[in-house]
Amino acid sequence: MVVRTSAELAVELCGIPLRTPLIPASGTLAKEALGEARDVYGAMLPKTVTPRPRQGNPPPRVAETPAGMINSIGLQNPGIDRFLEDLDAYDLGVPLLVSVAGDTVAEFVALCGRLADDKRVSAIELNLSCPNVEHGGLTFCAGPASVAEVVAACRKTAPDKPLLAKLTNEGVLGNAVAAEEAGADGLTLINTVPALSVDPWARKALPGGLSGPAIKPVALRAVYEVSATVEIPVVGCGGVSTGTDVAEFMLAGATAVQVGTASFVREPAEILEEFAGYLEKAGSPARQLTGGLRGYQGS
Amino acid sequence: MKFYSVPIEHREHIGGYTLFSYRWEGPVEPGQFAMARFGRFPYTLDPLLARPLSFYDQDGEATSLLFEVRGRGTALLDQADKIEVTAPLGRGFDVNGIDGPCALLGGGIGVAPLKILGRRLEALGVPYDTFLGFADAGTAEISRDFPGARVATMDGSAGVRGTVLDAAPPLEEYAAVYACGPNPMLAAVKRAADGFCQLSVEERMGCGNGSCNACVVPVEGRGYVRSCVEGPVFEAATLAW
Ligand SMILES: Cc1cc2nc3c(=O)[nH]c(=O)nc-3n(C[C@H](O)[C@H](O)[C@H](O)COP(=O)(O)OP(=O)(O)OC[C@H]3O[C@@H](n4cnc5c(N)ncnc54)[C@H](O)[C@@H]3O)c2cc1C
Ligand SMILES: Cc1cc2nc3c(=O)[nH]c(=O)nc-3n(C[C@H](O)[C@H](O)[C@H](O)COP(=O)(O)O)c2cc1C
Ligand code: FES
Repeated sequence: MVVRTSAELAVELCGIPLRTPLIPASGTLAKEALGEARDVYGAMLPKTVTPRPRQGNPPPRVAETPAGMINSIGLQNPGIDRFLEDLDAYDLGVPLLVSVAGDTVAEFVALCGRLADDKRVSAIELNLSCPNVEHGGLTFCAGPASVAEVVAACRKTAPDKPLLAKLTNEGVLGNAVAAEEAGADGLTLINTVPALSVDPWARKALPGGLSGPAIKPVALRAVYEVSATVEIPVVGCGGVSTGTDVAEFMLAGATAVQVGTASFVREPAEILEEFAGYLEKAGSPARQLTGGLRGYQGS
Repeated sequence: MKFYSVPIEHREHIGGYTLFSYRWEGPVEPGQFAMARFGRFPYTLDPLLARPLSFYDQDGEATSLLFEVRGRGTALLDQADKIEVTAPLGRGFDVNGIDGPCALLGGGIGVAPLKILGRRLEALGVPYDTFLGFADAGTAEISRDFPGARVATMDGSAGVRGTVLDAAPPLEEYAAVYACGPNPMLAAVKRAADGFCQLSVEERMGCGNGSCNACVVPVEGRGYVRSCVEGPVFEAATLAW
């Protein structure tokens, strides 16, 4: 669906021109569903890829909470070889970002090596929320040192590709600074929030990551604090579901915004349409919203 | 996903299940499903996600859904005058080239896709027998919508006592077996049928269009496969159960 508007939707992220500030959040848009992505997203971003194929976790993989969902997919993906063979399917004539994850720093480096000279790929997103096998399974987001190590290593391997470090909310400020110092060109904030669902009848628990509108305020806060501290651009992610959500994230400091869970319950074109409506009323081009807050409520 | 608002034109409660119909001419294949939500986003955020429901019937004008109230999502749907749907989704039953008699087996609310499947087989002139299993006579009431069906109930209050397989003759007699119901029932049907057998599986879904990887089932030699795009109907032999 083409959104007709007089508003200027274009933004620039790490030197990459985006027709609109919307990007699908990694892991939430399949090849089969690309039809609804056309003319809506400013860039494409497929599900995280790992060096080898991953089976993922046994079902059930999702549970619901008010205004959110908990998922435990387990990074099911076909592995980098198959992924690169199929990559052309994601060509919608907009820049293509690729999300990668490894068990070790060496695996992240190997993946960046495969992508460094691939002309189809405009930027790499490092999914640092996955377990770091060399550090007892804590994630790469466990602290600034491990963030710095993996970002610096990938930076060396892919010197010419913009690198976005995708972080979780916990410890986000320190990790963001570490990623910037290690050479990241941008940050994606935030990945899902650790959460648990309990079925009291079956007495079973489902640990996973919480996403959707429930985490929006948490993500906004992360974007706000980090963008006030670092120089590199921030991509907002977490619960974005409406046009004003997009505006809120950009005003809080985001240069672009990712849409995940909301795309399961509404058409992303509606979000873009609402955002265009906001811009028309505000009389502002999208690119001028970033960091445009005027103080705190009441002040 | 794009959702469409449809007014409920007819609503009926049959033995604990709700039958809804709305104006939509299809096309829909037997075994395909809809994702249904109580209201347009963001009017309901609890539950946030849509619920998968199989098509019960499609007569060229009206489409119907049959469901059991299980939790908050189906309870809200039960009260709606208008629902939001996206459909048709998934791969349904394969009826091409079947000429011999077929067995249709449904367990509980798993009867849902059998009505439209029976209608399709009739149109093709393929004979079939229907076997339905329920917990008790209350839920078994829906069997009146399946003339000639043989019924079993776990408590023996209607039909024969036992599971749906207790109401059916040996399945080898049939050229094709089609079944829908709880996963343990489907596993039992798979063991009992040695010829062409298709099962409609139920897994929790997030999106319904292949995007979230929630709804997987184990398939022989292929690992976890998304049931919303490659199913919900699978060839029994391919399922690694
Ligand atoms: C392809 C497909 C077709 C379906 N067709 C029909 C149909 O025609 N009619 C119909 O009534 N139902 C059908 N279902 C099942 C229906 O989708 C669920 O009953 C519904 O999603 C429950 O939502 P709820 O909000 O009412 O319950 P929830 O509050 O989500 O759940 C209530 C309880 O059931 C459990 N639960 C939830 N989902 C499942 C599940 N998938 N398997 C086992 N336990 C679960 C929860 O843990 C909870 O204890 C179908 C499912 C699939 C995948
Ligand atoms: C089903 C599902 C699968 C996801 N898979 C990935 C993934 O593979 N890689 C990743 O970096 N994030 C993944 N995420 C996280 C999202 O990209 C996003 O960071 C998070 O869901 C918050 O955004 P949202 O509230 O808009 O969904 C996944 C989220 C969901 C709901
Ligand atoms: S329900 Fe999301 S992939 Fe099947």
